Amino acid sequence: MAEKRHTSTHYDKELRDIREGLLYLGALVEKAIDQAVRSLVERDTELARKVICDDAIIDQRDVEIEEKCIRILALRQPTARDLRFITTAIKINGHLERIGDMAAKIAEKAIILNEEPPMKPYIDIPRMAEIARGMIKESLDALGNKDTDLAQKVRMDDEIIDNLNEQVFRELLTFMLEDTRKIHRSLIIMQVSKSLERISDHAVGIADMVVYMVTGKMVRHAPVCRIQE
Amino acid sequence: MKSRLFYKILISYVVIILFAVIIIGMMSARQIKDDLTEKTKTDLMAHVRIVGLLSKNNIEKQISSLADISHSRVTLIGADGSVLADSEREVAQMDNHLNRSEVQEARIKGQGEAIRYSHTLGIDMLYVAFTIRENADIGGYIRLARPLYDVKKSVDLLYAHIYENVLIVVISSLLVAFMFSRKIMVPIEKVEQFTQKVCRGELPGTLLVESNDEIGRLAKNINCMVEEHQEKIRSVYEEKGKLESAFASMTEGVLVLDSQDRIELINRGLKNILRDEYTSDVIGKTPLEAFRNLELEDAFNRFRKTRSPVFEEITFGEETPIILDVTISAIHGLPAGEEKTMMVFHDVTRLKRLEKMRGDFVANVTHEIKTPLTAIIGFIDTLQGGAINERETAKKFLQIISENARRLDRLVDDLITLSNIELGEMKLQIEGVAVTEIIGNALPVFEAKTAAKALTVATHIPDGLPLIHADRDKVVQIIVNILDNAVKFTPDGGKITVSAREDGKGSVIIEVSDTGMGIPKSEIPRLGERFYRADKTRARELGGTGLGLSIVKHLLKAHQGRMEIDSQIGRGTTVSLYFPISRVIST
Repeated sequence: MAEKRHTSTHYDKELRDIREGLLYLGALVEKAIDQAVRSLVERDTELARKVICDDAIIDQRDVEIEEKCIRILALRQPTARDLRFITTAIKINGHLERIGDMAAKIAEKAIILNEEPPMKPYIDIPRMAEIARGMIKESLDALGNKDTDLAQKVRMDDEIIDNLNEQVFRELLTFMLEDTRKIHRSLIIMQVSKSLERISDHAVGIADMVVYMVTGKMVRHAPVCRIQE
Repeated sequence: MKSRLFYKILISYVVIILFAVIIIGMMSARQIKDDLTEKTKTDLMAHVRIVGLLSKNNIEKQISSLADISHSRVTLIGADGSVLADSEREVAQMDNHLNRSEVQEARIKGQGEAIRYSHTLGIDMLYVAFTIRENADIGGYIRLARPLYDVKKSVDLLYAHIYENVLIVVISSLLVAFMFSRKIMVPIEKVEQFTQKVCRGELPGTLLVESNDEIGRLAKNINCMVEEHQEKIRSVYEEKGKLESAFASMTEGVLVLDSQDRIELINRGLKNILRDEYTSDVIGKTPLEAFRNLELEDAFNRFRKTRSPVFEEITFGEETPIILDVTISAIHGLPAGEEKTMMVFHDVTRLKRLEKMRGDFVANVTHEIKTPLTAIIGFIDTLQGGAINERETAKKFLQIISENARRLDRLVDDLITLSNIELGEMKLQIEGVAVTEIIGNALPVFEAKTAAKALTVATHIPDGLPLIHADRDKVVQIIVNILDNAVKFTPDGGKITVSAREDGKGSVIIEVSDTGMGIPKSEIPRLGERFYRADKTRARELGGTGLGLSIVKHLLKAHQGRMEIDSQIGRGTTVSLYFPISRVIST
């Protein structure tokens, strides 16, 4: 919103607060993902517990942002660009909160896995986490810069994550076939992988909302058609 | 292109001149007309007085000759106004003349005059009437009329002259006007072009106008102003340059935020401290948008609440974290309504690492000393408690005490060596040393150990390798330390290769490769720190003090050499030792 100001500077400040709030929430969930995956890789149960506790902060922030958005809708009756921004903010907020839940879920799985002997070093999971974090960061950068190209890139990264998820699935399947004692652990790791894949889907959701905010076009669900072609 | 002002001046000149010519022309025509009319009137008056002396009968008879003499039309009018005789027209056709103004005037005053337009002749006629007295009564009137041909001719002539010359007058006046307006306009145009250049921000030099009037003075003032301005701009730039260079050359990172908390300035220091991904394209963004750093944002939020300075330690990045001390403070002395913020970042990554190393060292030293001491004290206590009487047990205990005491001794020895090297108290006896000789001295130390673990040891040392510039004993110590590690961490049946070669850049490289467990990539930079162990549990089991590589690193530094470690997990490790070549020629 840098280029155009409203007559009411207070209104401007409220909009800015929402945007900053989203960026802050984004940074929080990025940290949550990082710590959750680290607690898994480094077998740090203490850190995993912290991630689960910190999810409450994310939830609280989520509520705050949503309340601010609703207050603006009610009191300012935004139109055009501002209305698109507010609706986008509400949806992005929801996505980020869900990502926070996913991180907490990964941390829960980490606690279970840390109780059991390690199977093998994690290679694909940290990579997925790294890419997913990058996607969240980029989608929020796209929000800040109104950059639809960057939003498109997030979509491309999602395919990498999907492929990695399948790769993890296949690898764990061989583990399970080899040794029945590894089935439990493999299934939990699969859930972790699935959570990361869900996180990347949420990141794509954010990026799509950014495209909507900038262009007014809904691009959600577009790739399904492309795959069918 | 001539300006509008030029035409305005030119046109006003022309209008004024034309106006003057017309006024003067009209006035002179009027004057001529009046003068001539007056003259004719006097003339006719004289004639009419003379004619009036005659009797009516005489006049009637000689009317045509009177007309001839007086160059006028002569009319004799009776006292009742009837025309008695006329030199030019039939009396019968003429009406009563008593009401004619000149006759009326003559009846009252004795003489009268009038100018009337004659439709028959198409010209103004001057009429002069005189009363003819018969005794005391009015006997009649004699009237003389003359057309004002002369007057008309003179006036026409004057107008003709004016018309003839008006073109010349206009052209000459145009010329003069043109010259005058040019004389005014040229300097004004110069001033105009000059000021336009100044407006566009060019530096046009000096304005040259050669005149001493107001325009000349104006030009001089403008020059003065421009010079003054340029002087001011120069000093501002200079001041700015000084500030900017100071700002840019600071090693501390500086961010300046505007009233909207957007980044207004970022200095090179901060760009150097942080990586490009953080600092490219941050102008106009808020710190949260630009850096997405929660610690910084939390600190900034605390600052925003009170606007009093906030100090905080923040971390950027996860893999190779950069630790920064940040000070957030308000910028003072700004115009009202502006609230700028300054963030100063100080890179404390290295300091933090050194702090941690020192802390680790103290913790490690106490731990390393405490472990054997605990064993020694424990076993001595047991012996004192009665175990000394059981000969076999006592012997075993004494053996353990002895081992631990020796370990303590080794540790203290290593620490002394290390501190000697660090304090620079170690004297090196530098000479040309042959690599073969060193390896030959070092290898036999490990014969027993390699045999026990069934390790193969191979050496590849080419002939004619230059001597190295080193202290013989210290190099042996280095090689022994490296070989000791290789032997310790290579599983039974493995292979150790010792080779040497010249690198062509003035160094000899001695390489010790093993087929051991390998070291993780991330640990390699930390090897050589005192008490640092890549594999914490196993290395101590194998009896190391944790100082070996540290000693090697310091010894090599004293030799102006260096060490490189390359390792692959599960495959083995290669340690490359670089020694400078001695100038003593190998024999």
